[in-house]
Amino acid sequence: MNSLEILTLTPLAAGLMLLFLHEIVPNQAKEKATDLIRYANLGIAIILFLLATQIGFETDWLDTWAAGNFGGQNAYILENTPVSLISSIGVTWHIGIDALSYPMVWLTTLLIPLSMLVQWDAEKGAQFHSLILIMEGALLGVFVVLDLFMFYAFWELTLVPMFFLILVWGGSDRRYAAMKFFIYTFSASILMLIGILIVYFHSAPAGGFTGTLTGHHFDMVSLMQQSTLIESAGLRMVVFLLLLVGFATKMPSVPVHTWLPDAHVQAPTAGSMLLAGVMLKMGAYGFLRIAVSFFPQETITMIPLLVFLGMASLFYGAWVCLGQTNLKRMVAYSSVSHMGLIFLGIATMQPLGIAGALFMMFAHGLISPLLFAVCGSFKHHYHTLEIGSMRGLAHHSPFMAGHMMLGWMASLGLPLLAGFVAEVAIMIAFWMTFGWWVLIPALTLILTAAYYLWSMQRTIFESSDPHRGILPDTMHGEEPRDITWHENVGMFILGGLAILFGILPAIFFDMMSNWSSGLVSEVLIDALTQLEVTP
Amino acid sequence: MNIESPLLASPLLGEVLRPEMTILIGIVLLIVVPNLGNATIRIPMTKFRIPVFLGGRRFTMTSDPLIPGVISMFVLLLSMAASLMTFVDGHELVNVCISASGAIQQGCLGSDYILRSDPYSRLFTTIFFFALLLGTAAMINRMPAFVDAKAPHPDDTGATRIHAIRRLLNNRRQGDFHLLILFVALGMSIVALSTHLFLLFIGLELASLAIYVLVAFMKEDETSGEAATKYFLTGSVASAITLYGMSLLYIWSGSASNYATASLSLVGPNGLAATWQAMDSVDPLAAIGFGMVLVGFGFKISAVPFHFAAPDAYSGTSAPMALILATASKAMGFAALVRVLVVMAMPEYGTEATWLLLAGILSVITMTWGNLAALSTENPKRMLAYSSVAHAGYLLAALAALGSGMAGAATSRLLITAVAFHLLVLAFFKSGAFLVLTLTEMKGDDANKMESLYGLGRRDPIMAAAMFVFMLALAGVPPLSGFLSKFLVIDGIVTASTASGSLSAGGAIEWLSSVHWVFWLAVAMAVNSALSLFYYLRIGQVMFFETPRSIRPLPEAPMIRIAVILCLFLTVLAGLGPFSQTLVDMATMAAQELLRV
Repeated sequence: MNSLEILTLTPLAAGLMLLFLHEIVPNQAKEKATDLIRYANLGIAIILFLLATQIGFETDWLDTWAAGNFGGQNAYILENTPVSLISSIGVTWHIGIDALSYPMVWLTTLLIPLSMLVQWDAEKGAQFHSLILIMEGALLGVFVVLDLFMFYAFWELTLVPMFFLILVWGGSDRRYAAMKFFIYTFSASILMLIGILIVYFHSAPAGGFTGTLTGHHFDMVSLMQQSTLIESAGLRMVVFLLLLVGFATKMPSVPVHTWLPDAHVQAPTAGSMLLAGVMLKMGAYGFLRIAVSFFPQETITMIPLLVFLGMASLFYGAWVCLGQTNLKRMVAYSSVSHMGLIFLGIATMQPLGIAGALFMMFAHGLISPLLFAVCGSFKHHYHTLEIGSMRGLAHHSPFMAGHMMLGWMASLGLPLLAGFVAEVAIMIAFWMTFGWWVLIPALTLILTAAYYLWSMQRTIFESSDPHRGILPDTMHGEEPRDITWHENVGMFILGGLAILFGILPAIFFDMMSNWSSGLVSEVLIDALTQLEVTP
Repeated sequence: MNIESPLLASPLLGEVLRPEMTILIGIVLLIVVPNLGNATIRIPMTKFRIPVFLGGRRFTMTSDPLIPGVISMFVLLLSMAASLMTFVDGHELVNVCISASGAIQQGCLGSDYILRSDPYSRLFTTIFFFALLLGTAAMINRMPAFVDAKAPHPDDTGATRIHAIRRLLNNRRQGDFHLLILFVALGMSIVALSTHLFLLFIGLELASLAIYVLVAFMKEDETSGEAATKYFLTGSVASAITLYGMSLLYIWSGSASNYATASLSLVGPNGLAATWQAMDSVDPLAAIGFGMVLVGFGFKISAVPFHFAAPDAYSGTSAPMALILATASKAMGFAALVRVLVVMAMPEYGTEATWLLLAGILSVITMTWGNLAALSTENPKRMLAYSSVAHAGYLLAALAALGSGMAGAATSRLLITAVAFHLLVLAFFKSGAFLVLTLTEMKGDDANKMESLYGLGRRDPIMAAAMFVFMLALAGVPPLSGFLSKFLVIDGIVTASTASGSLSAGGAIEWLSSVHWVFWLAVAMAVNSALSLFYYLRIGQVMFFETPRSIRPLPEAPMIRIAVILCLFLTVLAGLGPFSQTLVDMATMAAQELLRV
């Protein structure tokens, strides 16, 4: 077992065990056990974070695929020897990370303890924190497996804890939101599964997979090395579109984004943080890892569609944000808007643009949890999410107001904060590829600034009384308090990292651009030449 | 036929048929042991009385009401182990045929055999014995024997009196129940072993008649009599049609002038298979006879339109019996159906079978009907019955792919493997589901209402979790065993149907129009699987999110709980890892033997 396997399997095993442990302790010891289980969960999550960080320090990321076989053998760090899981149909336990997945893995291990911390006092804490730990296992699984079948299995597995987090700990309309979330994303991933199965039926027996009963296998590494995966161009396009629907729904992109605002508004704070921070990135990750890497020609053919989807999400998300009266709903739509940028970055087909998209995934993974943590604590202390019902927040909750300001600024792309780096990279690449069309996304960013600043102005400032704020009706005369210590710690860490990666983006940006230039030079350029040969 | 040779001509016969011999011994024991007593017989004209040990005053130890259950479980366990021996490496009697004279042919080189003990038949006997074992274990708790049961006190009235009488009744009928179970086991193994249609019919009837009685066995339930009557009437009509079909086949197999060549044996120079292959175009007599034979099998596997009795029988009878109907009886139908179709009427590579269209249409109708009906029912047992119908449709789709003539040797093997493996793992999770329902119906809750499952997650978290896993396995959610079996079926169909399709066709539409129409059965299966998720997940929803109608915990019932946990482990392990590979290898061995005929 290498450290990556430990990293992936520990949270699943530990989470399930702790969940089960809580069920079997006798009633009189339950309260004590709940506390212990919560600390155990947090402790495990922190240890896993340290482990992930250590993996990052140990590795020379700029060297990983220097051998010139992008996506092939030896392109992954800590790759294990594949273990056959269902040998009759060629499913293996095969994991490894590269510069595409490592930032996501690190981000996941970071966000899990932080989301536990932010909602440290959740009701039924033992189950809540155990579910989050299980969630970590499922998310890490999605990012590390190199087997299409296991990828799909983990992909679906992430739905289960999130479904329960929304259903049990959600807001007043949680049942509807949980069902909508589940049905929407599940149906989309069925389409993705059909795509995966078509790929599977075209896999040629190779390496250790000659003995399978069906003669096919799911291994991504072998599939990447197969010269022509699917001969029929039409079928390739069908598979690409199926995968695109599956991934775009998760991302989410207009027009398949409607599950997101409902899920976010009803989800508990920790659930929202993970949903926005990591789960949405699964869509972009899968798109790059499978759709773009396996079907580069189709990606190039479909650039106009990608640009259209990206522009539509970017503009529509921002436009809807302007009209929102609910703080969390606004933040949710801003996620849709930012995810549009990822499609735009990929559509540039430039190393810089793809690296920008990757950094966007990462930066948004730091910033949006901060936004949702702020929204969560706002709801927690002021019992409302209406923008404008509370004015002069800075008087009563200076820390919350501070975090809010930092988060909002980071999200709208203030220089020296993480979001800015990604936006600039994408915009430059977009200009390099599409020329003056860049004005449309660039000008849409003005809308982003507008809704953020406007909502901030109506919440933090604008009190008619110079010494106190106007409290919402939902407070019922209760004296407002500032955020609790654990919320504060979580938000400080997230805000601090947003600043750190704004000043020193190179920590991850270098490995990301390394990966993207690998993708461009070894996959996309070949595809382009082939397209030119056979138009 | 060599009449002089005794039945046990070969000393190996007992070894080859060890599972069946074990059951026969078990039947004898079940009759003898509870009747052991101190009866004596006086030698005439003397005063000497010699003990005969049968009858008279029964010995306390052997007339214990727990004894029949112990015997039958022990016998089934031994028979299962003996069946599994076939799959052990280095076993000598892997592939043995027995002729009508009792002669043994190792490797089945000859052609005049009527029973064939090969991995195929042994895989199915394993399934039967395992399912019957689970049913027996469940019944031991469902119909418990009480050593200390007493006749009701004359003053007792009402519930106390009924309770006491029921305890006595349970003691009385232990022997009957387990005896019938062993007859079912014997009949089923004859079906799996026989390569002769008439022998197959005898096995089918032996099992069926015992099952009819067993369906009505819990006669204090009002519904079980009705269920059994319906099941019996439909079943006996189906059997009669089968028998008539066999007689037509018999007439057809001989010629008008030479009845000596008439035969119901599937194999051999005059066998049905050879006659079928020799015919230039389809003989209507043969087609009608063949179709009628299939009716009986269609009833056993509850394929539309022969499925109408199944939901009533499942929901009317006790849950352990429904378990046996849904797993063992269904596997028996498929064992016979696959054997007859493959051995007798398998098309040449590249030609379509005569029954292809029928199988394809029935498959789609069966799976769709089953799923739609299951969606609309509020009765868990009925829902499982309809899901059983739907599963029959999936397996028929695999058979249709076999009949398309597009499947090469490897693909045919894969398809039969898929069918056998599916029936094998069905005995894990379908049984598990019925076992949990047994628990809910034991304390008087009506297991025919969805309300009995409300809030089960709070009443008994472990059983509820197990039930949820069984539902997911039935729906075919990865990585459970239900997924693997369904995946193998779909894989086989796709591989078979796309064999001719030119994969390099330019457009997707061209590609789709170049594949054989059997491909759409795989699509129908996928759509149906997605549809079925709704009702399987509904069980989970009512178990975890509805308020329970009663807060009573589920009964203790240790046997059932052990069986549920066993099924749970098998369900998970059979989907993933080395154990699943072992099972798939067993199924592959079975398929290979079947195709080698």
